[in-house]
Order: sequence, then C-alpha cells, then structure tokens
Amino acid sequence: MLLRGLTWLVLFQLVGTALNHLFLTMLPGPIIGLVLLIVYLMVRGEVSESLSLAASSLLRYLPLLLVPPAVGVMVYAADIAADFWPIVGSLVLSLMIALPFVGWLMQKLIQRQARRGGTHES
Amino acid sequence: MNPDWQGAWLAVIHHPLFGIAITLGAYQLILACYEKTRWVFLQPVLVSMLVVICILVACGVDYVEYRKSTDILSILLGPATVALAVPLYLNLRRIRQLFWPTFTTLLIGGVVATGLCVLLGWLLGAEHMILMTMAPKSVTSPIAMLVAEQIGGVAALAAVFVLITGVIGAIFGPGLLTLARVENPAARGMALGLTAHAVGTSVALQESEECGAFAALAMSLMGVATALFLPLAVSLAV
Repeated sequence: MLLRGLTWLVLFQLVGTALNHLFLTMLPGPIIGLVLLIVYLMVRGEVSESLSLAASSLLRYLPLLLVPPAVGVMVYAADIAADFWPIVGSLVLSLMIALPFVGWLMQKLIQRQARRGGTHES
Repeated sequence: MNPDWQGAWLAVIHHPLFGIAITLGAYQLILACYEKTRWVFLQPVLVSMLVVICILVACGVDYVEYRKSTDILSILLGPATVALAVPLYLNLRRIRQLFWPTFTTLLIGGVVATGLCVLLGWLLGAEHMILMTMAPKSVTSPIAMLVAEQIGGVAALAAVFVLITGVIGAIFGPGLLTLARVENPAARGMALGLTAHAVGTSVALQESEECGAFAALAMSLMGVATALFLPLAVSLAV
C-alpha cells in the first residue's frame, strides 16, 4: 500500500522533472509534480488510501529531510554576518506588518461577504 | 600491541553512514526535548541543524562530505514536496463558502508579505543573493528552498530565513492579531498560515480547529502561489 502511493509520488515528480526540462525551466520539477497531483486529485475527486498513506508518512518526516540542506548554512556564515542587520530587520519588520494586515484584510472580506449574503436572502 | 584508536575514530567519522547517524540522532534528541517542553524556540530543524554543524566542526568533517553521506535523505525531499498536494486538496474541499475572501487575501496578502520583505531588505542594503533568498521566506521550507535556488538565492539560507520568520510569527502573531482587533478565527488562521507557514499553523491549531484548518490551507496555497509566480515575477523584473 505504502509502496504503491510512494511510486505515484515519485512518478509525479519525474513527470515534473521532464516538463521542467522541456518547457517550464522557471519552475522546479517537484513544484510541477505538486501542481499536477492537485489537478489529478481534483479530477478524481478523492484521495486513494495508498496515496494518502504515502503522503502522510513522508510528510511526518519532512523536518528530518530538511536538516541536511539547512546544515549548508555553515558554508555561508560570512554572507550572513555581512548582511546581518538588513536580514534581521527586513524579516522581523515585514512579518510584523504583513501578519496583522493579512488578518485584518481577511476579516474585512469575510464581513463583507456575510453582509452581501444577508442582503441576498432578504 | 596498542589498539589504533586514532584510525578507528577516523574510520567512523569518514564512514558514509556518519552523516546519517548524527542527523538522525540530533533530530530525535531535539524532537524529544521539544515534546517535553513545547518551547517554541526548539524548532526541530533549526536546532538539529545547529547541533549537526557543531558536531561536523568538532570532528573536522566538511559540508561536501556530510552532504554526500546524507544524499539518501535529500532525494526524498522531491516526493515529499509533491506529497504536499494531498493536504492542500483536502483543505481546499473544506472552505468552499469562503472561497473569494480566501483567494483575494492570498493574492494581496501574499504580494504584501513578499514584496515588503524584499523592499525593506533592499532599503537596508542587503545584496542581491540575500534578497532572492529572503523573498520566499513566508512559505514552507521545501518549497522555499526550491524557489530560492531557482531565482538565484541559496537553499540552505532560505531554510533558515523561513524558520526565523516562522518562530517570530508564532511568538508575536497571536498578540499582533489581537492588537489589530482580528477576532474571526478564519482570518486569524489565514494570517498565521500565510505569513508564518508550518510554525504559524501549529500555533493556529492551538487556538481552534477552524483557525488551524485555515492556517493549513493558507500555508499550502501560499506555498504553491509563491512557487508558481515568484520565479515568473523575478524573471520579468530582471
């Protein structure tokens, strides 16, 4: 079961890689695979048991898979030190502004839709 | 006869399994600590990364060798990225009636979150490579790393910027939202997931189930939108 789901995931990634080389050089292969899989699931209308088992098992270990590439930061210590304050400043400030803004915007839009829905019914 | 301690030590630290061993060991140790304390600074990836770097430096093993021995883990990152489609699809089905508010917020909020960071970085004088690495900081790490590499940034740094963003969002997010008088659980979830990805989503899940569902949805939508449009935007701008 798990292996069948895993095979599908690998196949989607490989199709994505092929498309990346043929037409879509600006999109990474796994991303194309992800979009293809969403489209496939929407067309099918359900997630098969083997696919959901493989996806959830793989995603449970996602943080572990991310450790080796993150360790690569040791090679760039000098670059971080050179741009330390711009990095910290823009990461912190942009989050502090964007996060409440997104919440506020979403709340406004939900309220507007609720009001419109109300007038439609009356 | 003296046993060859030095030779045995070198054989162990240069064995192809050494990288896997320290990665698995560090990760499980940090995970156990995190589950005990629930301390938001103990993000498994970030702290495991620091532990592994310390071990590598102490043993005198360089990154290239470590990377080669952990190839097997990195190869699985591709299918794991594809697997993100499954939770996204399941979440999409849950929010039919709020489709337009969600979609509009994703579009405007995504541009603001990404644009503001690049603009601030540029104003503060960061160099191009760092800017391109910071641009995808609001999305989940596997996507951010792929996108950063694609647009001329560095995958390893992107993973770290993503984690910093997530941790700041988790610490200050709920307070900032309350200050901005955002009470709707769907809106709070959307804000946490869109700007602070998986770490924000875990905080949103603690608030309520609706809040968590919207955070998970916002995180995956923002990830896919960034992956599709950020490389396009950059290639048009340059």
